[in-house]
Amino acid sequence: MKAITKREFKAYFTSPIGYVFIAVILALYGYYFFQVLMLHSSSFISSVYATMFVWGMMFIPILTMRTFSEEMKNKTDQALLTAPVGVTAIAAGKFLASFAVFAIAMTATLIPVLIIGFFSAPSWPVILGNYLGSLLYGAAMIAIGTYISSLTQSQLVAAISTFGISILLLVIDQLTSLVTDDFTVKIINWLSFTTRYQPFTKGILSISSIVFFLSVIAVFIFLTARRIENKRWR
Amino acid sequence: MIEVKNLSKHYGQNTAIDNISFSVEEGSVVGFLGPNGAGKSTTMNIITGYLSASSGTVTVGGFDILEKPNEVKKLIGYLPEIPPLYPDMTVEEFLNYMYDLKKVTIPRKKHIKEICELLKISDVYGRLIANLSKGYRQRVGFAQALLGNPSVLILDEPTVGLDPKQIIEIRNMIKELGKSHTIILSSHILPEIQAVCERIIIINKGNLVADGTRESISQSLGGENKVTLCAEGSESEIFKGLKNINNVEAVECGGEKEPGVFEYYVFAKKGCDIRRDIFNYCSKNNYPVLRLVNSALSLEDVFLRLTSDNNIEENPTNNEESGDKK
Repeated sequence: MKAITKREFKAYFTSPIGYVFIAVILALYGYYFFQVLMLHSSSFISSVYATMFVWGMMFIPILTMRTFSEEMKNKTDQALLTAPVGVTAIAAGKFLASFAVFAIAMTATLIPVLIIGFFSAPSWPVILGNYLGSLLYGAAMIAIGTYISSLTQSQLVAAISTFGISILLLVIDQLTSLVTDDFTVKIINWLSFTTRYQPFTKGILSISSIVFFLSVIAVFIFLTARRIENKRWR
Repeated sequence: MIEVKNLSKHYGQNTAIDNISFSVEEGSVVGFLGPNGAGKSTTMNIITGYLSASSGTVTVGGFDILEKPNEVKKLIGYLPEIPPLYPDMTVEEFLNYMYDLKKVTIPRKKHIKEICELLKISDVYGRLIANLSKGYRQRVGFAQALLGNPSVLILDEPTVGLDPKQIIEIRNMIKELGKSHTIILSSHILPEIQAVCERIIIINKGNLVADGTRESISQSLGGENKVTLCAEGSESEIFKGLKNINNVEAVECGGEKEPGVFEYYVFAKKGCDIRRDIFNYCSKNNYPVLRLVNSALSLEDVFLRLTSDNNIEENPTNNEESGDKK
């Protein structure tokens, strides 16, 4: 698994994808940070991260589209699957590499906050909550994207499908106003990434949200592993 | 070492391989022959664990591929038809990655260096795989298969894309490796199989149609014992005389090859060697023999016969031949 993660991580930076991803995230972050904190003289960092939440959901498909699609297209999966490595290790290895790139981008967003920390006293729990929340929703989205990539040989199809799903997850709680059935509302709220993400923005460490995101990650890594295994039988 | 039992693989409606069984002893070099789409690659993919069979079992070194996949995979070095190379890595990075992936325990630097020297890829060690020629890529793929010194090597068309000099080098290497490894090699280049393998397995349309040494396969085909003779003398006299020799079934004339020298094709009954009788007849009658050849079936003949069976079966006059094969 370590070998796979290492290779995948390196691959992000031998191609421009890794650099571009981090650069774009940081540029957008810088822009919103400037707008909110400087122009409005506000320390409401949550609104910066809330915007980043949306952008993150949109960029993650670019990060995950290649994970399995490229291997299948280049037939390099033959080396991977005939090596003495379990399918779960392959799926987890790929997930970790994509997550590492995302985590680098997100960790770098802490730099401006730390600088502000020298001059004033921002609300650290809120900042850390936002940071942790962004890592968790990102990781869950990456697990979903990795799974979708294992379904198709085409990176483009993988990216667009993942994109579609992430937008659905962003807007799904808007559906609650259209539905009257209590049970359906409950399901929608349960599925919504936004509702799960909300507590973090207030600096609350919500155990149920953490468990939710970790479960999404585990389920999709499991599904990816099943998918790789399943491909052998067809 | 490798035991394949009643292996079948269906892709939806299509049957890629149909109830194949064979076993390979430790230390032997087996050639897999068959036309394109015969099921060679599918069989190899199943043995290496890349695909799973629809039914049947594969055991390698005593381990079942489904029950102990990792043990089996550790024993096998696999070079697929398209070498599994990452174009964005250098040869160095790639081999080190595969070394880690295969959990090799042999000292890293020395082992990789040895393999690179063996395959003559040391001079492209630092280069990106994307920039390598087909021949070099093939050899990097081969190097990957040798990592960890696995006791079984499965090579799917290992010499594709190499120039004639490299082909000979790789063949010699396979022969050399064959002394200490169990090797299954697929190819549709017949001289290659003939040069390297002691045993040949011919697959056609997913069925195993022959298994054995070249000689035993051509014998089991019941080749018609055709003898070609070039002798000097009257064409009609010799023609008549040959027909009267014991066990001769038919004689054909091949025309005048040199002034006064004619060629004859003599067909004998199954299992009869008539070369001595022909020689005795000619010497008794003072016909100088210029050439006398027993035309046994070459590997080409064997291959063509076994793999073009449809044509024969459709042709009612050749019923006997198709019966022989089954």
